[in-house]
Amino acid sequence: MDVSVKNYTNRYIIITILVVMAIWALLFYAVLMDEVYDNVDDGLKNQKIEIIREAYINSDILNNTREFGINQFRILPGNADDFTDRNHFTNELIYMPYDDEDEPYRVLRTGFYSKEGNPYLLEIRTSTVEQDDFLINLAISLTVLYMVIILSILVVNQLILTRAWLPFTRILSNLSNYRFGDVSSFQLVETKVKEFNELNSQISLMIQRNESVFNEQKRFLENASHELQTPLAITINKLDLLLQDDKLLEQQLVKIAEAKQSLHRMVGLNKSLLMLSRIDNHQYKEIENVNFNELTKELLRDVEDYVSFREVKFNLIEEAIFNTSCNPDLARILISNLLRNAIKHNTNPGVIDIQISSNRLDICNPSTSGALNPQYIFERFHKGYQDSQSNGLGLSIVKSIVETYPNLEIAYRFENNFHVFSLIRS
Amino acid sequence: MKILIIEDEVELLHNVQEFLEQESYLIESATNYDAAVEKVLSYQYDCVLLDIMLPGGNGLDILRVLKKEKKDQPVLILSAKDSVEDKVLGLEIGADDYLAKPFHLSELLARVKSIIRRHMHHGNPVISYKDVTLNPDLRQVQIGDRDITLNRKEYDILYYLMLRPNKLMEKTTIAETVWGDNIDQADNLDFIYSQIKNLKRKLKEAGAQIDIQAVYGVGYKLI
Repeated sequence: MDVSVKNYTNRYIIITILVVMAIWALLFYAVLMDEVYDNVDDGLKNQKIEIIREAYINSDILNNTREFGINQFRILPGNADDFTDRNHFTNELIYMPYDDEDEPYRVLRTGFYSKEGNPYLLEIRTSTVEQDDFLINLAISLTVLYMVIILSILVVNQLILTRAWLPFTRILSNLSNYRFGDVSSFQLVETKVKEFNELNSQISLMIQRNESVFNEQKRFLENASHELQTPLAITINKLDLLLQDDKLLEQQLVKIAEAKQSLHRMVGLNKSLLMLSRIDNHQYKEIENVNFNELTKELLRDVEDYVSFREVKFNLIEEAIFNTSCNPDLARILISNLLRNAIKHNTNPGVIDIQISSNRLDICNPSTSGALNPQYIFERFHKGYQDSQSNGLGLSIVKSIVETYPNLEIAYRFENNFHVFSLIRS
Repeated sequence: MKILIIEDEVELLHNVQEFLEQESYLIESATNYDAAVEKVLSYQYDCVLLDIMLPGGNGLDILRVLKKEKKDQPVLILSAKDSVEDKVLGLEIGADDYLAKPFHLSELLARVKSIIRRHMHHGNPVISYKDVTLNPDLRQVQIGDRDITLNRKEYDILYYLMLRPNKLMEKTTIAETVWGDNIDQADNLDFIYSQIKNLKRKLKEAGAQIDIQAVYGVGYKLI
């Protein structure tokens, strides 16, 4: 799954802080415990000196402090063999009635000689920190701290990054508004951030480069088509002249006529290409309110002969008047291309159902070859089956026309073995 | 009948010239703007065929010159630029018709004849061959002195055939001129046959001396 750049950094921050805090907690614990024991041990050592000093002055305590009393020390007669006056510290668990459980004590064991020179063993103990409690408390407070830090980072990040990335989201939405062929449809976003300014300028550079390549190609297509017209005209007219020659045999005439017909296909292709570039260049500027019902009926009359020859029947159902503002020539080309397709790819005998409602014009014809792929049918030079004669531009012209008008839309669906092309007005 | 062809493409000029000479027109030509302006201002033609893109100037400017000089010359624009604006502009400035390249020579002839007919102030505008007379203004056909009724398509077909009797008319040309551009080049043109068949039947029933002869695979001929 994609992550937002905000969360992308957060992931790493969360993990890093967790690791850093864990290491820090361990070190902190070690240092703190060391300091605590150091302090406790200093206290014990100080107490030892005071007790030994007291024992020199008042030897009674040598005998009446055999058990830990309120002073928390005891003096036991020592053994000369294993006598040592080194301080020996241990941590021990000793029952404490207040808590009703064993609590950690720090115990100092050492040996000393009394004034008389007898060896004694001195044990001093004092309550010390409960390591486990301390550890738990430390962990809890660190967890709380961790969460507070993370939360504030998330909140601050969210606020700051949203603000910081605002130009970026604007650039994105402007990019989605950009329409190919219209340089001004991409608007630059004003920002003080260097990176976004670079992005801005790179995008507009890229757009300009693409547009200029596109325009060059468009001009190329236009010029190539134009330049083709004259040689085609010359060749066709030469063949025309040749056809007038009475001395030619019928077989030869047929060949010439066929050659001419092929050239006419090329003329048709050329015209279609020119028309496409003219539509894309918005050269059909004149706009009027076109009544598609009337237009359809007129075009149906035009193809009457051809259609009855092909044994195709028309069913025209007019539920309402479909009219919209557009160029009348383009409207004519649009409907005539759709009708021509419906006739050409029909069954024999066949039928064409045309249904016109106020915002929809459906042209349906039975299929001879199954559904078409809606992904490709509107592409230039895409050809279906059994279609060696078409130039593959009819539907792309339809699409180009529809794209000229934002309120129009063309859709294809395959229904009950019928191709249905719908012109929809939104 | 004198026709001026203003066209810089020499091959095309020769084609049109040869064809129109066969149709017994007198042809003059100009291959650039200055020569063209000089000719249209100095002489009167029955029809001027005008290419728009010329070396030394624009064909539309020749139309403007004619308008300024108040000289009435019938003009048919021939243009490789099949653009609506050019067409509208040309007709607005005073051209009589507009034909986009490439064109059928027989189509050109039909246009030229119709322009010349429109500019004829006196004389008989009818076209006749053998015992058939066709009046393009009234869309009326007479055999001998009897009217016959033809539907629109039949009339159009006969009109094109009558313009050039004894000459081969291709199916494609007939389809394009009679049914318009809506007929795809690639379409099967056999449907023309049924119209021709009806036309032949009507001519025969009326006892006309003309007949339509099929040249299989190519087209038809009026004999």
